[in-house]
Amino acid sequence: MQTVAEADARALLNKVPAVTLSFWIIKILSTTVGETGADFLAVNAGWGQSLTCVAMGALLLVALSAQLRARCYTPWTYWLSVVLVSVVGTQITDLLTDGLGVSLYVSTAAFAMVLAGIFFVWYRIERTLSIAAVTTRRRELFYWAAILCTFALGTAAGDLATEALRLGFVLGVFVFGALIGLAWLAWRLRCHAVLTFWIAYILTRPFGAALGDWLTQARDYGGLGMGPMWTSVLFLSVIVLLVGMAQRRAPIPPLAQAADAAD
Amino acid sequence: MLMLTTRRLLAVLFLLGLAACSKSAPPAPSSVSSPSGTSAAASAPASALGDLTPFSVIAADVAARVDKGDLASAKTRIKDLEIAWDTAEAGLKPRAPADWHRLDASIDRALSALRADTPRQADCRDALIVLLGTFHTLQGK
Repeated sequence: MQTVAEADARALLNKVPAVTLSFWIIKILSTTVGETGADFLAVNAGWGQSLTCVAMGALLLVALSAQLRARCYTPWTYWLSVVLVSVVGTQITDLLTDGLGVSLYVSTAAFAMVLAGIFFVWYRIERTLSIAAVTTRRRELFYWAAILCTFALGTAAGDLATEALRLGFVLGVFVFGALIGLAWLAWRLRCHAVLTFWIAYILTRPFGAALGDWLTQARDYGGLGMGPMWTSVLFLSVIVLLVGMAQRRAPIPPLAQAADAAD
Repeated sequence: MLMLTTRRLLAVLFLLGLAACSKSAPPAPSSVSSPSGTSAAASAPASALGDLTPFSVIAADVAARVDKGDLASAKTRIKDLEIAWDTAEAGLKPRAPADWHRLDASIDRALSALRADTPRQADCRDALIVLLGTFHTLQGK
């Protein structure tokens, strides 16, 4: 996708993380944490779907504005935004399906078209869809709009697979895992790097959900029976660990570096 | 640096695996809270969704409280059904999506009847009759 030197040269300017194994692991685990968190608030805490939706949407706006205001990639702001985008993207699909009775075939197709539309406009204006060069406010807005849409699309497509194909989470882990493997292989075989990235990004939503369900669900349903709380604690610990590692390695903000250079 | 990161990640994955294994090791206590802990002994005809008794038992309890006119305690009790049902969604739904939606809609109706600003006993009873009827139909499949 890009050489290490290129990545280093851009690290100060790019507002989003480099795509590493760590990136994918955090991304996959954040799906489950976001979903269990929202479920906990809506059901266990008794907030209901609407209040949870509003609260999460407000939180997302706060996190995103912090992310947009940051002058360089700040791991914790970025990943907090991803977790919240994951929650809100899922809720948008749930709201359409359960609240408005929109068929999953329709919403899957609609989100796919909206995503294609975002990519089309993004490319027309910027002449690139590369996530290695999210260096302007406008590109950043395209980036987050696309990400929100991939979560909504991933939720709808994953639910459609459950409903139409009766794809349970055990098989789901393998099917979506294999599809991600294919995207990886295509990338290794030098297929379009940006395209394979976004395909894999969509697929990690249902893959993450299936993985979370596999750990969470009771053994009678074929799960490992860890329950939502322990699964979330485990996933959240891994996320905090990985984001903490990324935060420690994060580039020094431009101002501080300028001060260093002056020394 | 790239190599180091990968190695660290492998360690994390290994820990994750360990945690999953150690968590799933003790087989015995799961029967207390797991939905079909009683299913082995029960001879109820299984619906396409599998054993639904853990849920229908709570629904019957809610219905009994509604019959007594104790809507407040019925409202408290039905939350157990909501949580159990919500938690089991990923496990149950793929088995029979249409049946799942049917039951889900009945549970939703009972929830909103009991959670109305001023719940009416007649509404709650109607909703629970439908809900118990849905359980009955699905169990009879």
